[in-house]
Amino acid sequence: MFGQGLIKGLQITWKEFWAKKFTVQYPEEQHPVPERFHGKFVLDVDKCIACGLCANACPNKVITIEKQKVGKKQYMTGYIMNIQYCLFCGLCVESCNKDALHYSKDFNMNQYFYRDIPLVLVKREAPAEPEEEEQPAAKAEARPKAKPQAKAEKPAEPAANSEVAAGKVPGKEGE
Amino acid sequence: MLRTQEYFLNFGPQHPSTHGVFQIILTLDGERIVKAEPVCGYLHRGIEKLAESRTYTQVIPYTDRMDYLAAMLQNLGYVQAVEKLMGIEVPERAEYLRIISGELSRLASHLLATGVYALDIGGFTGFLLCFRERERVMDLLEELTGSRMTLSYARIGGVADDAPEGWLDKVKKLMDDMPGYIDEYNGLITGNEIFQARTKFVGQLTPETAINYSLSGPVLRASGVNYDLRKVRPYGIYDRFDFEVPLGENGDCFDRFYCRVREMQQSVRIIQQAIEQIKEVDGPVIAKVPKVLKPPKSDVYHEIESAKGIIGYYVVSDGSNKPYRVHVRRPSFINLGYLDEMLRGYLIADVVAILGSIDIVLGEVDC
Repeated sequence: MFGQGLIKGLQITWKEFWAKKFTVQYPEEQHPVPERFHGKFVLDVDKCIACGLCANACPNKVITIEKQKVGKKQYMTGYIMNIQYCLFCGLCVESCNKDALHYSKDFNMNQYFYRDIPLVLVKREAPAEPEEEEQPAAKAEARPKAKPQAKAEKPAEPAANSEVAAGKVPGKEGE
Repeated sequence: MLRTQEYFLNFGPQHPSTHGVFQIILTLDGERIVKAEPVCGYLHRGIEKLAESRTYTQVIPYTDRMDYLAAMLQNLGYVQAVEKLMGIEVPERAEYLRIISGELSRLASHLLATGVYALDIGGFTGFLLCFRERERVMDLLEELTGSRMTLSYARIGGVADDAPEGWLDKVKKLMDDMPGYIDEYNGLITGNEIFQARTKFVGQLTPETAINYSLSGPVLRASGVNYDLRKVRPYGIYDRFDFEVPLGENGDCFDRFYCRVREMQQSVRIIQQAIEQIKEVDGPVIAKVPKVLKPPKSDVYHEIESAKGIIGYYVVSDGSNKPYRVHVRRPSFINLGYLDEMLRGYLIADVVAILGSIDIVLGEVDC
C-alpha cells in the first residue's frame, strides 16, 4: 500500500522526538576533549635542546627556531609556530626525542588580527655569558674577537629580533 | 514556425547540493538536460606537486586532505604503497588497528553520503539521524588519533599509536548499536515512497558502461558488477574477515544509495570480527623503520578500496628521501567522468539526485 513507508518514517521520527538529546549547547556546555586531542602546542622549555628535529619533521615548515650561541652551548631564544599553516598531523610531536613538545586540549586559537596568529612558545633574550666559559674560549685566537662583537650585538639583537617578528608577534610575550 | 531554444544554466560552484565547489554547466531544453559539462578545479591545491618536495612521511598529512571524509583509507593507500616499495613488514596489531580505523572511516563516509543524500532529496530528519551516528564515529576516531577528520594516523610501517585503554570496548558498543541505527535509516529513508519515486530508475548505469568508464566503488557495484578489492585482491589482512559484497540490480540512484547502506552493515561486521581477533594480538604497532626513508630506485602502484571507490597510489622513487612523483587515482574524479551522459534526458530536479548518488568529495576530485 502506498504510504506505508511514510507512516513508518513518521513513527521513527516520533520515537526519536522523545529520545535522549545528543546536541550540546556549545559555549555553555562542552564535549569532553580526549586525551590525545591535537590542540594548541605547549613546549617544555627546560627539556628542549633546540635540536630542530621538529622543525625538520614538519611538512609545512611551520616551526621556526631561533638560537644563539652562549659560550659553548646553543641557547634557544625563540620558538615560533606559524600556526596558520599547521596541519596538526602530529609529526613534530612524534619526532621529539626529549619529549618536550606536546599537544594541549586547548582548541581555541582564534585571533582578531593576523599578526597575532603565530604561536610564540618561547621568546626570550639570551643570558649574559657565564664568566668561567670565557676563559677556555679565550684560548682560541678567533674567539676573543668574535666575543666582544657578540656582546655588542646583544643589546641590538633583541631589537632586531623584534623587528623581524614585528610582522608576526608584537605584544605576544604578555600572554 | 515554432521551435524551442536551448539555454544554459550554471549549477554551482556555490550550490549546497554540489557537496563542495563544483560547477556543472547545464544546457537545457525546457526542463530536460541536453548536455552537462562538469567543471572542476576550484579546490585544486596541487597535492601531487607538493608531495615532490616532502619526505615520504611528510606526504601522509596531505593524503588526508583529499577524501577528508574517509581520511584513514587515504592514508592507508599511500603507506601501503610505500611499504610495498620498500618491502616493510607491518606488525599484526598495527594491521588490525588499520582495519578498525579504516572501516570506521568508511562508516563515517557512508553515513555522511546516506544522510546528505536524504537531504538532497528533501528529507531533513534522515540527515540529522545519520549525522548523530557519524558524530559518534568521529568521537571514537578523535580519541584514537587526536583529530576528527584529517586523521594522519597511518605511518609507514604501522600506525601512529596504540588504541587507548577502553577504546576497543567503546567501538564494540557502537558496533552493537549500529544495526539498530541502520534499520532506522531504512525505515526513514529507504522505505520512504517519495524518496523511492525520486531515485528509482533515475540515472541508470549498465554494467558494461560502468566497466568501460572505469567506475568503481558503490557506483560500480550498484550496477551489479561484483568487484570489491577487499575480496578480489585482499590487501592487508582483509582475507581473514568474513563479509559480503552488496550488489545492486538496476544501477539507478536508489541502488547506489542502498548499496552504501548495506556496505555499512558489512563494515560493522568486519569491525566486530577485528575487535574479537585483536584481543589475542599483542606487540608493537609500528615496525622498525629507519628515520630517513630512502626506498630503492623503482616505482610502485598500489590500490585499495576506499569509501568512494578504488584509490590507487603510484609512487616513483629516485633513490632520495623524497618521492620523485606521487600520482593518485582518485575514485571521485573518475566516477564523475560519466556524469554528462548519465544526466542527459533527465529533468533539472534529477541533477541533484544523480550527482548525490555518485557521492563525490571535492577535495578528492580536485586533489
